[in-house]
Amino acid sequence: MASIKEIKIRIESVKNTRQITNAMKMVSAAKLRKAKNSIFAARPYANELNKMLELIKIKNKTIKHPLLAESDEKGKNALVIVTSDRGLCGSFNANLIREAKHYLQENRSADLICLGKKGYDYFQKRKNKITHQYIDYFNKMDFSISREIAEELLNIFLNREYTKIDILYNEFKSAIQQNIVVKQLLPIIPTKIEEDKSLDYLYEPDEKTIIDEIGKKYINVSIWRIMLESSAAEQGARMTAMDSATENASDLIQELTLNYNRARQAAITTEIIEIASGAEAIKQ
Amino acid sequence: MNEKLSLKIIEPDKIKIEGEFDHVIIPGIDGDFGVEVAHTPFITKIRPGILQLYTNKKIDKYAIHDGFVTVENDQITILTETIEKENEINLSRAKDSKNRAEKRLSSSAEDINFRRAEASLKRALVRIDLGR
Repeated sequence: MASIKEIKIRIESVKNTRQITNAMKMVSAAKLRKAKNSIFAARPYANELNKMLELIKIKNKTIKHPLLAESDEKGKNALVIVTSDRGLCGSFNANLIREAKHYLQENRSADLICLGKKGYDYFQKRKNKITHQYIDYFNKMDFSISREIAEELLNIFLNREYTKIDILYNEFKSAIQQNIVVKQLLPIIPTKIEEDKSLDYLYEPDEKTIIDEIGKKYINVSIWRIMLESSAAEQGARMTAMDSATENASDLIQELTLNYNRARQAAITTEIIEIASGAEAIKQ
Repeated sequence: MNEKLSLKIIEPDKIKIEGEFDHVIIPGIDGDFGVEVAHTPFITKIRPGILQLYTNKKIDKYAIHDGFVTVENDQITILTETIEKENEINLSRAKDSKNRAEKRLSSSAEDINFRRAEASLKRALVRIDLGR
């Protein structure tokens, strides 16, 4: 059995750890709230843009546009994998990476684009081909940052390096639940809208220019939303992970305290026995 | 029929303005145009310029730099990534960026960011124009 002093040191160190995990939990909770608000705030813009894109697509079934075209040609795919930059968030990244490996097995020629440090580190070590990486983008996140990424992805696509770009990320469901989503980023598939608009719009200057622009904006806002989702999911995952870590630490402290008391009691008992037997010896 | 236009200006991270106006002037890609009640359904791109919103003789002016506008059934929706109200503009910063952009544009170096410099010059000019 460990000595009393050792157990005491151990208890102190676990207490320190618990303090850290608890603080991280609080911080994540606050960040999560902020991220959730940002997701809500981003909704109107994205919905409106989607509506416009879909409207144009319905009106002009014949239109062929590189951003919208469903290309039949078999070409190279790229996968954008959105992980976090920092660890200590449970299985958040591990699940994503597993899914990415699946994807790579099915699409052997696919290249990787990593958004977030964790995914990059993992695939870099395993010598996968990573064509682009964006690291430390999450801590200074705002729309102009996501626009930078979006513009680069769009250029890659328009230069015909890839016929299709998919994106893999964690979608925020609730603080304790994340869904892994694989979505086609380019060419664009607008989400179906319900309402049937019979209005005929005038386009100025012309449809192609409008689609060009809307398509660009659509990608910008898609990346923005995905980053928001992913960071909210990350904070949620971290909060849950840190919560159970705190709980574990408390359990451990309890157990150690018990051991400590037992050891202390044992020491006292031995001492008493020694004194008692000493006294007995003197009497005789 | 509604006497007023309802207008919504949406930025990626928030709804900037939502309200009713009598008359709106928007800098479209092919020139400024005014929207009154009962305008034709219409979609266009916005060029950097000044957006003017009229209510009861009061004019609100905004510097707007990009985006789209749709008009339908007296509902105007503007989607934009950058818009600033008159009093949000920092004139000295705009002047600085104008100078910077001009310098970049006049340098003969083969600059791949030519278009970016041009765009930033345009933005600066609109801001200065409105900020004065």
